[in-house]
Amino acid sequence: MTDQAFQAVIEVEDLVTYYGTRKILDRVNLSIRQGEVMVIMGGSGSGKSTLLRHLLALNKPASGSIRLYGKDIGKYSTRELQTLRKRMGVSFQNGALFNSLNVEDNVAFPLREHTQLDDNTIRIMSRMKLEVVNLAGFEELMPAQLSGGMIKRAALARAIVMDPDMLFFDEPSAGLDPVVSADLDELILKLREAMQVSVVVVTHELDSAFRIADRIIVLDKGKVLIIGTVDEVKNSDNQRVQNLLNRRAEDVEVDPEAYLKRLTENLAGL
Amino acid sequence: MTYLVEEKDGFLLVHLEGDVDLSTSPEVRKLMLDCLRKKPQLLIDLSQVSYIDSSGVASLVEGYQLSKSQGSEFALIGVSEAARSVLQLARLDKVFPIYDSLAQRLQHGSI
Amino acid sequence: MLIRPFIEGVGEKTILAVEEAGYQFLLLMESLYWLCLGPLLNQPVRLHTIAAEMIKIGVLAIPVVLLLSFSNGVMMAIQGIVTLQEFDAESQVVPGIAYSVTREFGVLITAIVVAGRSGSAIAARIGSMQMSQEVDALRVMGIEPVRHLVAPIVLAMLVMMPILTIMADSAALIGGGIYTGIVLKLSLGTFIDRCFDVLVVYDVMQGLSKSLVFGVLIAVVACSNGFSVSGGAEGLGRATTRSVVMSIAMIVVADMLFTFFLSR
Repeated sequence: MTDQAFQAVIEVEDLVTYYGTRKILDRVNLSIRQGEVMVIMGGSGSGKSTLLRHLLALNKPASGSIRLYGKDIGKYSTRELQTLRKRMGVSFQNGALFNSLNVEDNVAFPLREHTQLDDNTIRIMSRMKLEVVNLAGFEELMPAQLSGGMIKRAALARAIVMDPDMLFFDEPSAGLDPVVSADLDELILKLREAMQVSVVVVTHELDSAFRIADRIIVLDKGKVLIIGTVDEVKNSDNQRVQNLLNRRAEDVEVDPEAYLKRLTENLAGL
Repeated sequence: MTYLVEEKDGFLLVHLEGDVDLSTSPEVRKLMLDCLRKKPQLLIDLSQVSYIDSSGVASLVEGYQLSKSQGSEFALIGVSEAARSVLQLARLDKVFPIYDSLAQRLQHGSI
Repeated sequence: MLIRPFIEGVGEKTILAVEEAGYQFLLLMESLYWLCLGPLLNQPVRLHTIAAEMIKIGVLAIPVVLLLSFSNGVMMAIQGIVTLQEFDAESQVVPGIAYSVTREFGVLITAIVVAGRSGSAIAARIGSMQMSQEVDALRVMGIEPVRHLVAPIVLAMLVMMPILTIMADSAALIGGGIYTGIVLKLSLGTFIDRCFDVLVVYDVMQGLSKSLVFGVLIAVVACSNGFSVSGGAEGLGRATTRSVVMSIAMIVVADMLFTFFLSR
């Protein structure tokens, strides 16, 4: 690999964020390199979706910083950020297709908004991307007529229509059967190969994570448990990581005093 | 992006050079559609193309379809590795006639 | 002991209300920004979305607006004649109807119809887009949701509200004219002539300028309610209802203030 392959496209430094007064992310550090597939893992409530929203500059950090291509997101002007976002493709958990547009218009939407290309070119490009995700022939359907797997693939086609440098997936396997989900993983790897994109995937599906990841970051209650290659994570001797991998429920430590207090707080006559 | 158009052995050769991306592909499209007005046997030389994105490929697709409907020939020559992976992704390497060079095209018989 | 939570509650609600009003003002300013500067920045507000909003907000509302305004005109004629008969001044019903329709009721009925029809529809549409992450999708594509979703609505309101108001004025005058004609044996032509005798441009303009304000109110209230949807289907329903109630309340109060300052 060349030096450039190790260049970080996203660097997260000491990211702390709150939801109300609850701390969601606690001093998260992470860097994502050009061309790698980084999987963000963790149980529900671990803060993984929040981390993704920060990487997408949808949320503002309470403290710490996120650098995209070496520059702090907060320091980009609105216009610069918009230009930057043309280089990022995002596939949301439930697709987030525009319900008022058919599949082809959904895919063509970013091109129509951002480019001056001829409409023929735009339509050919959209159909090419639908071919890539194996949705050829479904151009005219509305999102409501699609199955869960088709929605995700259409959303993926829309995410790659501008030939982005970075691809983000929020729970690509959620709600899909194992076969469809494996197909989608294949597709993600194929795209990385052909388009040399950096890929960030948020998931709680172990199989999927191990299949596609170059590196995995495991979050637990807002803190980073481990960042490493698939093997490093599999062989980690951290108990919490192992619990997560073996789908074991965690033993909750009981503080008897505090527990009793929680149960009887604000009750009459106590 | 720059280009050079020449006539050689009965073919109209369009040599593209540099990056074919969102900003330059409209130019490629216009150039190709202009060339196709004379119903030539058109070869697009991609050997000097350092990068081609899907808008560039889409323009080639449109040109190919137009020349097909005119009954004239359209082929790509000197497709670089980078360009080939873009074509492969959408399985278009199975659609376009692709040759290594003009010489290889000539081996496949005359026009 | 009870007074403190009460005061805290009032304070909290006040802060939220100020915050919301500020957000709505911001939505309006951003929409105007995109409408004016968007074309220069190569990010225009799309004509086809504006046209679609105009149809939804304006054209489709015409039948209801006409029907309600016509009925309103008839009712005003009935009540006016009954009241004025006591003073043997029933012929004075004409200026009465002419003034109140153009200054007040034409625009008020239009605004209430549009708030009920479009206010709820807009809040529901934007709210469900918010819930399904379509708004986030716009944002990460580098498309400002305000430019794409709010600005066309604001412009459509600014164009369609005055047009609807003029239609409402006409329908109400015709309604009043027909009833008056039957009861007082006055031809519709004479009625209209006498209306124009008493009306000055200022009266009509008063209604039209109000219609612009009401249109903007409906737009920003509906959009802000849509964007702040949370809590699933129930939250969406709540936002929709809130959008209609809030915009109608604001319209009536704003109308009172207008009348207070303009008609005395």
